[in-house]
Amino acid sequence: MKKETIAYLVVVIGLVITSMVALMSGVDFLTPLDLWRAINGNNADAVNTILNFRAPRWIASLICGGMLAAAGALSQSVFSNSLADPTILGVTSGGDLLILLGGLFLPTFPMRNLILAFIGGGLALWLLINKQTLRTPYKLIIVGVALNLTFVGLKQLFTQGISTGIVTGFNGITWPKVLTLLVIGCIGLFVALLLAPWANYLKLPDQQLASVGVPATLIRLSLLTLVVVLSAGVTTAVSTIPFIGIIVPSIGRKLVGHDYQTLIPFSILGGAWLLLIVDTVGRLVVLPSEISAATIMTIIGGPFLVFLVQRRGFNGTKAS
Amino acid sequence: MELKQVNFSYNANHPLINHFSAKVPQGKILSIIGPNGAGKTTLLQLLTGQLIPDSGQILVDNQPLADLDAKERATKIAIVSQQHHVLDEMTVSDVVKMGRRPFHSLLATISDEEVAPFLEQVQLTKMATRNIASLSGGQQQRVWIAMALAQEPEYLFLDEPTTYLDVRYQTELMALIQKLQADKKMTVILILHDINQAMKISDEIWLLKNGQLIASGRPEQLLNESLLSAAFGMTVHVVTVPGYGQYVVQV
Repeated sequence: MKKETIAYLVVVIGLVITSMVALMSGVDFLTPLDLWRAINGNNADAVNTILNFRAPRWIASLICGGMLAAAGALSQSVFSNSLADPTILGVTSGGDLLILLGGLFLPTFPMRNLILAFIGGGLALWLLINKQTLRTPYKLIIVGVALNLTFVGLKQLFTQGISTGIVTGFNGITWPKVLTLLVIGCIGLFVALLLAPWANYLKLPDQQLASVGVPATLIRLSLLTLVVVLSAGVTTAVSTIPFIGIIVPSIGRKLVGHDYQTLIPFSILGGAWLLLIVDTVGRLVVLPSEISAATIMTIIGGPFLVFLVQRRGFNGTKAS
Repeated sequence: MELKQVNFSYNANHPLINHFSAKVPQGKILSIIGPNGAGKTTLLQLLTGQLIPDSGQILVDNQPLADLDAKERATKIAIVSQQHHVLDEMTVSDVVKMGRRPFHSLLATISDEEVAPFLEQVQLTKMATRNIASLSGGQQQRVWIAMALAQEPEYLFLDEPTTYLDVRYQTELMALIQKLQADKKMTVILILHDINQAMKISDEIWLLKNGQLIASGRPEQLLNESLLSAAFGMTVHVVTVPGYGQYVVQV
């Protein structure tokens, strides 16, 4: 069997097993038999626990993981930089900041947070995209990190001593939130799969694309819009969860190769799996309390990034 | 293809291309030679639409080059530049498929069969699924030529195609270019550093200096010691090598 096929199989089997564990475990442990009965509608208590608490959370972490990993892979193709992830470049924290400011100063209107997250992410990219920054891969990352820290700092400034009432993370996520997430996520991921070939075109420099009549700027703008939509969808629902967009595509390139038409579907599945594992572990290790997925991802992601950059042969100019 | 009174500069005091008028010989091999800074690469960028003249006009098939949209231009003009490279892993066949893009919509999938003939023409059929970065310099150059051929252009531009290649590959490449030109009846425009290579391969030569065309004609017409010495600012001799012909040497 091809390495690629095995990688896909492992992720799919992993997803199924982790999903079962996620739905079975919590303050009340359910056996596989309970789960089966619940699916058939024969166990009212279990149905209640699963439907109201575990299922929305399960779906939310799957779709968010997929969205974050796809956004990471796409943004890496746009910037030709394997570290270019929306959570590192300030796209998600820009969204977080605007959602917060909107909550403090704006009246409510439909989809307010989503729109604000989109504008915040777009603003971060607009500040980032500059000839000087794009010339050297590391400049992009340094400027992105600076932007990110600025947004995080501003957010802290505005939340000094007050409770914003904004719920972040997967804890207590409700069905309406999950449904919004599902709609944006499914549309976004469908478009990501559809536009995957465009990510491949960007492996040629702009001048060469121009010589074969491919509009590089249009492609970049479309893919970046998609990156911001995917990131904003996640930010609105659960705030920033870092590093999934770097870790999953990096491992994906090793396992299924550099073709975005295989890498993006793999990243979606892999991201879903990773975030589900992280959320489930976070939920279970300190019962009845929990550790947020964002915290765990920061702890895993930091060392992974150090390992990725310090590895031999990494040069950052190419999506390695 | 024709240039009419073309001017181009980045800085008004220092014109890079200065009142340049000339006609590219159709279906022939044209080489552009001249010292560094003569404007060879600028001229190529103007002819391929990468740069736009400050004044004057460039016509392709009696149509202004500026009026062609990107896709149309890509089916008439193909470029093999010195700086061709990829930013991420790509297979040889994926690179060549990019040359077929002008014939398809942006999302269309291009089949392996469609690019097979172009890989065949540069003898890279066996390398189709290899990562381009794993190929030798000479093989990579042939991949870029296959991509350009896939555009089925009327005009094929090559900017110093032999620069990074060893002598054997240079000879092979030149033979390949001659063969492709003869098979497809394309117009081939080369920028060459090596005067002798230019003399050997070309039907016509343009000699540039300071952004102007100082001489043009068949190779033997340009094998002129005083002309070449003046153009390159050094003493150049034309000697006769038995079994080869005339050869330009610098002393």
